[in-house]
Amino acid sequence: MTKKNRKGFLNWLKTYEGQKFVVSVLFLLVPLALLILFTFVPAVNMVGYSFQKRDQFGVNPEFVGFDNYKTIFQDPDYFITFKNSLYYLAGSFVQQALALLLASILCSKIRAKGLFKGILFFPYLMNGVAVSIIFQRFFLKGQAGLSPQGTLNSILELFGAEPRLWLDPEKPMLANFCLVFVSLWRYIGFDIIMYIGAIQSIPTDLYEASDLDGANPWQRFRYIVFPSIKPIISLQLILAVKGAISVFEIPYIITAGNYGTSTFVIKTIETAFSKKQVGLASAMAVVLLIITIIVTLVQKFFFRDGQEERIKREKKSGRGVRY
Amino acid sequence: MKARKIISGITAFTLICGTAAAMSGCGNTDKDGSSKKSGSKGSGVVLEVLTNRTDRVDDGSLDELTDAFEEANNCEVKYVGYADYAGDVATRMGTEDYGDVLMIPDDVKLEDLSNFFEPLGTYDEMKEVYRWADKKMDSSKNVYGVAYGGTATGVLYNKAVWSAAGITEMPATADEFIADLKLIAEKTDAIPYYTNYKDASWTITQWQSLVNSASGDAGYENTILTNKLDLFAEDGGYYPVYKLMFDIFSDPELTEEDHMTTEWESSKVWFGEGKIATMVMGSWAIGQFQEKAENPDDIGYMPVPITAPDGNRYAETSSDYCLGVNKNSDNVDLGKKYVEWFVKESGFAAKEGMIPTTVDSELPGNLSEFSGVTLFEKEATPDELIGKFDEIDTESGVSVWGGDTDNFKIKIAEAAFAGKGEDEFKSIISDVNKKWSDAAASVLG
Repeated sequence: MTKKNRKGFLNWLKTYEGQKFVVSVLFLLVPLALLILFTFVPAVNMVGYSFQKRDQFGVNPEFVGFDNYKTIFQDPDYFITFKNSLYYLAGSFVQQALALLLASILCSKIRAKGLFKGILFFPYLMNGVAVSIIFQRFFLKGQAGLSPQGTLNSILELFGAEPRLWLDPEKPMLANFCLVFVSLWRYIGFDIIMYIGAIQSIPTDLYEASDLDGANPWQRFRYIVFPSIKPIISLQLILAVKGAISVFEIPYIITAGNYGTSTFVIKTIETAFSKKQVGLASAMAVVLLIITIIVTLVQKFFFRDGQEERIKREKKSGRGVRY
Repeated sequence: MKARKIISGITAFTLICGTAAAMSGCGNTDKDGSSKKSGSKGSGVVLEVLTNRTDRVDDGSLDELTDAFEEANNCEVKYVGYADYAGDVATRMGTEDYGDVLMIPDDVKLEDLSNFFEPLGTYDEMKEVYRWADKKMDSSKNVYGVAYGGTATGVLYNKAVWSAAGITEMPATADEFIADLKLIAEKTDAIPYYTNYKDASWTITQWQSLVNSASGDAGYENTILTNKLDLFAEDGGYYPVYKLMFDIFSDPELTEEDHMTTEWESSKVWFGEGKIATMVMGSWAIGQFQEKAENPDDIGYMPVPITAPDGNRYAETSSDYCLGVNKNSDNVDLGKKYVEWFVKESGFAAKEGMIPTTVDSELPGNLSEFSGVTLFEKEATPDELIGKFDEIDTESGVSVWGGDTDNFKIKIAEAAFAGKGEDEFKSIISDVNKKWSDAAASVLG
């Protein structure tokens, strides 16, 4: 009986289906092994570390329960850095509005559309470190006699303005706005491309119909474009929340997190590698992970909702669902 | 059939990938240089000396220096330099062949010294003659190594700028130091103090090296623990050092205007050109700054401008590598003679601008201002306190040597830049004091 079964299995392996199965399993084996070894095992370990007091060598770790989590939420030095994420969040709303505006313009009849698209998308292709170094010079005031003025001050001077300190220790808000601007400059290209894609997927007959009805551009945007790209907008906003929580390279390179521009991720790295409190840093990483998971779930929920609504609406309008 | 072929193909591929990855980890990066001398002289006795100073082996100055010793003792000294000294010599010490005389790697535990090195004398004899005599000493007070030189903590300054401002006497107190910086701001175009704040994560930690000297207590870390002092006790080391930093950083006249301008490499050049007057840097930096300076003699090094609570001034010194004699050498006596000669008579340390090891030696030119200052070495930690300071440091998150964004040094500096005044300074240090004493209570019990 068992022999027969085994033979049947071996025979099945020789069939086309069987071979397909074997080959897929073998191909999956390597990436899965790497994924487990380098992502899941460390992540599980990290959750374990987050309940310990341990140094960077892991000598005699001590189980401390939820102490590390308590520290994060009670010590103002730690949780307050989320405050800086609010700057980036506010910035991302501006970014979305601006991107939508530029996308709408780029979808209308203008010259050299491709060129503008290219220019606007280019910063996104650049390496984040390079962008940060460029802007580090951009905001400098410079030192008379030692180093030249930064780009921004030189340009302002052409228009007769006094050079000023942009990254100013007295004004953490200004410093943060400068950094948010860099973030906006870098990521807006991606948003524009997303919106252009969404806007172009709107059937042109809707525009023609609205033209016949005498709609002005604002009405056309309000009643045709906006409802059609709503799901994309909500997706973008949720991605912006995720981005705002995990800002890292821009403040890390431009100000090294000083002048009150530190973020939660910078703080996590410092806690682990400069203060050597690996347990606490692991707990911070877990907190970040949980927040990201929640945001992702919210995003999934909204996104699915939007799609279903559209399908429902399309059904109602009698256009049917086409796949 | 086909399936098997595919399987074996995939297996072979993964195997190859794996081995390739494993093999690329290997590599040979030995970078040894040994001095070659043409025409060996003497009776054929060769003394092999292992050293970390590849620079001085390569430029031949060590060989030149040693000629006198070779002639007097009728032997030949062969120097072998290692760029990665501690690592390479540790490997050689796995055998019995690790030269006749060598710098004792710091990885060798003090209780293991007698297994590798010949005792050079007892501590009581040696301390009369040499500084840092206890650095390579075992528990029965035998000394196995003598340092070839040492360094002191202090403040780096440009002599030309300071004298152009009309300053003739170096400052002895924090107030005098600030007054001098103001004078420089007034009378010269140089920036009196350059913060290098863009790289604050390490440049600001240089201030920490002044603490022991300012406290005037060779065992200040131990004193804090045994007497359960506040970290920022006003008559201690931390308070005067960081108060001085706060006061300098608070005055926009005294530092550069845009602290984010810093470029470390350029700042060395500017310093040499006299565009920057002062920086707090360890003495390790002297050489680097001299290299970039038009006139290396302009680069001066002054003792910590803070008078300790007992009214004297101190400078903490620390030794470089210690020379030891290989226990398994055939030329133990010659080796000992060489060590004594190198430390006492060769003049190597003074030539390198380091503090010579002999107690009664004169300080080298670049440290001449240290003459009125008591030099001391950091006291060893008593057994029951070993590791406790670091443990409290980590647990409290104070991180005295750190420069992370919520470190007290950064907070003090930014409060100063923003012109927040003395109260802010007080509230920062009282916060640190509290964190420290909480952690100390839990660690020391």
